[in-house]
Amino acid sequence: MLDSVIAAGSVRCGTRDALPGFAVLNDAGEHVGFDSDFCRVIAAAVLGDANAVEMIDLETADRFTALQSGAIDVLVRNTTWTATRDGSEGANFLQPTFYDGQGMMVTSDSGYSKISAMDGAIICVAKGTTTEGNAALESSRLGLDWEIRSFDETDLILEAFLAGQCDGWSSDVSQLTGLRSAYPNGSEALTILPEVFSKEPLAPAVLDGDTAWAQAVNWAILATIQAEEFGITSANVDSIRDTTTDVGMLRFLGADVPGSDGAAVLDPNLSLPTDFAYQVVKQVGNYGEIFARHLTPLGLDRGLNSLWNDGGILYAPPYR
Amino acid sequence: MSPQLSTPSKVAFFRDIRTLKWALQILALLAVFALFYWLYGNYQENVAKSSIQTDLRFLDNPANFTIPGNDLDQSQPVRDAFVEGFLNTLRVAFIGIALATILGTLIGIARLSKNFMVRTLGTVYVELVRNLPLLLLLTFMNLAVVLQAFPRIENAWLPLDLFVVSNRGIAIPWFIGSPAQLGIGILSAALLAFVVAKIRIRQADKTGKQDRAWLVGIATFVVLVVLIWLLFGYGWELPYVDGRGTTGGLRLDPSFFALVASLVIYTSSHIAEIVRGSILAVSRGQGEAADAIALSGSQKMRLIILPQAFRIAMPALGNQYLNLIKNSSLGATISYFELTQIAQITVGNGSPAVPAFSLTLLVYLAISLVTSLVVNFFNRRLALVER
Repeated sequence: MLDSVIAAGSVRCGTRDALPGFAVLNDAGEHVGFDSDFCRVIAAAVLGDANAVEMIDLETADRFTALQSGAIDVLVRNTTWTATRDGSEGANFLQPTFYDGQGMMVTSDSGYSKISAMDGAIICVAKGTTTEGNAALESSRLGLDWEIRSFDETDLILEAFLAGQCDGWSSDVSQLTGLRSAYPNGSEALTILPEVFSKEPLAPAVLDGDTAWAQAVNWAILATIQAEEFGITSANVDSIRDTTTDVGMLRFLGADVPGSDGAAVLDPNLSLPTDFAYQVVKQVGNYGEIFARHLTPLGLDRGLNSLWNDGGILYAPPYR
Repeated sequence: MSPQLSTPSKVAFFRDIRTLKWALQILALLAVFALFYWLYGNYQENVAKSSIQTDLRFLDNPANFTIPGNDLDQSQPVRDAFVEGFLNTLRVAFIGIALATILGTLIGIARLSKNFMVRTLGTVYVELVRNLPLLLLLTFMNLAVVLQAFPRIENAWLPLDLFVVSNRGIAIPWFIGSPAQLGIGILSAALLAFVVAKIRIRQADKTGKQDRAWLVGIATFVVLVVLIWLLFGYGWELPYVDGRGTTGGLRLDPSFFALVASLVIYTSSHIAEIVRGSILAVSRGQGEAADAIALSGSQKMRLIILPQAFRIAMPALGNQYLNLIKNSSLGATISYFELTQIAQITVGNGSPAVPAFSLTLLVYLAISLVTSLVVNFFNRRLALVER
């Protein structure tokens, strides 16, 4: 896969076009968002050009078929990493880009203040996701007898929700936050209930059985986390590379590292160019920058998605 | 000496035109088989490479989802969910076919009416509906009619205090008891009514008097149903608004309503044209003969024209029924839990796509083939027996 990507000169990234914050089309018809930027991170690392990406929009139910059939090289489409998907969908999940959890959104005037009060409610969810299963499990765990309706697209859920056909809209909290920010009646009309009832690590996936390609994608993503830990941003990456004497940073950026027998560049044989991390940070940014660009405006906190030394669980293996 | 017929000299078998034709056919067949074998081999190889399941083991996994208006538990196997989806498809098919046939026949007759208003309305209906894509009609029915025109549950319509209509569904009064009881009751009443009607028909054939046998049959049926009802003490249960839902009665899913309504409207426009064509195809003399023996307008239609028209219409009607069954899969787009929706959901939840959709495909094929068989049976029954 790695060879064919390099030969083609672009990464075919499976994504979507209508999830505020993660991947939406802007007025120029370009994909903008957190997921879209991670597609660019991969392209910057592998090909040295963040724009060498072909964004392929997929329906939720089609995404694994697209991956299995080779229609896309990598899937970055807020997809939860689960055992079944890892095992029987032929997907190989890599470093999660976002640690999410499923929650519930209701209209502010509905009077619901916690999930356990929603007895006999109609809950609307997107079809073909882990959301349905989690909601069904939560309903039986709490004995709430929910009626769960699944829709093809978020637009259809929105219509049903506006018309009062659904009492609750359940999805990952990050998605709900994005949808709330774009609600036609204003975001105050909706409330996201405080409880979160599932673990949803959203991770990129590649096809099973291609180690070189998987490594390349994995380290491209880890580079954004490591860069934030080093404090390297797209603004200061050039000056740091030219002036720093920190061996760790020099290795990471693919610069000459002084040694006993002259200067050398660290090449860990990841089948990536030695300056891939430099390209990623220079062209797209570090993890914190990407988060601040797309998710902070929606009102999402870093939370679990902070660095390990800052109360979160983002942790990159050492680059040496 | 009698003239000798010249016997053709024996041709070598490999130059025999019959052998060559056969050989060509077999070669073509082999080529097709080889192509499929190659495709299947490719599939096997790709699937093995990426460790995807190819068998039906996934049917035993827990479904992990629930179905609206159904007490399927999320821990029950995928198999049970498929059965529910199959039943939901059959529900739409049965009700859709019955209503579309009735509505289509009425509109087909209306299109031939001497009354200008009736005729024009029929034409407008057919031309309007027939020229719309079904998916669009369905989306419109769901988004504009069910979601917007129907009231919210807070201010639901309560016609006659018997029904509860809101965009969360239509609740109707329903009897208390098990479906098996209802089925046995209705079936035995229908059987008795059928016997009564048959006896009346035999009577009428003997005496030559006006029959009305079927009217009597239907009346018998209604009386019997009411009798059984009273005898076994089943009760009605009226639905009422209960918080943000309804309790009691039978609740029809809003997507079920939207799907059946769209399928009936769409298919009836095609059936109307078939019925109109078939009526026109009945020989003119038949109608004139009916007029000559002073049959009334409705008798002429009911006794002379329609029976002959349906004989002509049957094969084309069968096609429309098959279309309706297959089109019911569009219900997946508006969250009606029929076969396709179940397949899509279970694949999204981790069931392997190729076996799950192959299974769905085979179930549709089976439903369609059985429908074809039934239609063909009636077609043979109705066809003119010629010697």
